[in-house]
Amino acid sequence: MAFLIEAEHVAAFARALGVDPERGVPPTYAAVYALGTTVPQLFSDPEAAVDVAHLLHAEQEFAWERHPRVGETVVARGRVAEDVERRGVRLLTFETEVTAGGERLCTSRARFVIRGSPR
Amino acid sequence: MSSVEAGAPGGGTARRELVVTFTREQIAAYAEASGDRNPIHLDDEAARAAGLPGVIAHGMLQMGLLARVAGDPARLRRLSCRFAEVVAPGDTVTFRGEETNGRVELTAVNQDGRAVITRGRAELAPSGLDGRS
Repeated sequence: MAFLIEAEHVAAFARALGVDPERGVPPTYAAVYALGTTVPQLFSDPEAAVDVAHLLHAEQEFAWERHPRVGETVVARGRVAEDVERRGVRLLTFETEVTAGGERLCTSRARFVIRGSPR
Repeated sequence: MSSVEAGAPGGGTARRELVVTFTREQIAAYAEASGDRNPIHLDDEAARAAGLPGVIAHGMLQMGLLARVAGDPARLRRLSCRFAEVVAPGDTVTFRGEETNGRVELTAVNQDGRAVITRGRAELAPSGLDGRS
């Protein structure tokens, strides 16, 4: 999914974290351009059958080649890397690759716990 | 929010600290700004129906605050953590970063002394990664 890094949106995000909106794109804006663009696919995938209210973010890793700039369009592609059950709890690991102009910008690995819904 | 910065960023060890008391308003503002409007962050009833005590803060809101004590955001090359405990409005969390030669150990502890984030780590590049020279 293509996503435009837009100044006003970045500024609102920065303010919500209490950081100066003039200081560029906060690193964890990746929550928006990497996770926000791909994780919701999970919810609409009937095979994944994820109830969003039972989804808890358990672990998160980001690696950046560089940080995006305002005005730039990035492309995010996500996939389920792992879907396992441990002690009755389902763990879903979702990997996202973000590129800009064909070059890798950011990689995200997100692990979610889905409580109370063992398959 | 209050923050403290100490140490030598050029080498050796640098320590940073940020103390945040979470509020519903802040969580709602983050939901709006991030687009993550999962009702467990906004609606007590929905959160309780999901087995939580009430609304909780987003993991990514915690991580966004954790990133503030990691060092120069433009140099951030890696950031990782585990969300170990839920954070609710009224909780006061102390975020700490200790940098040694570009490697940062990150912690977040609540008012009861419990680690809300574990395995917090960051890596800083020698220079900025924001594409600006």
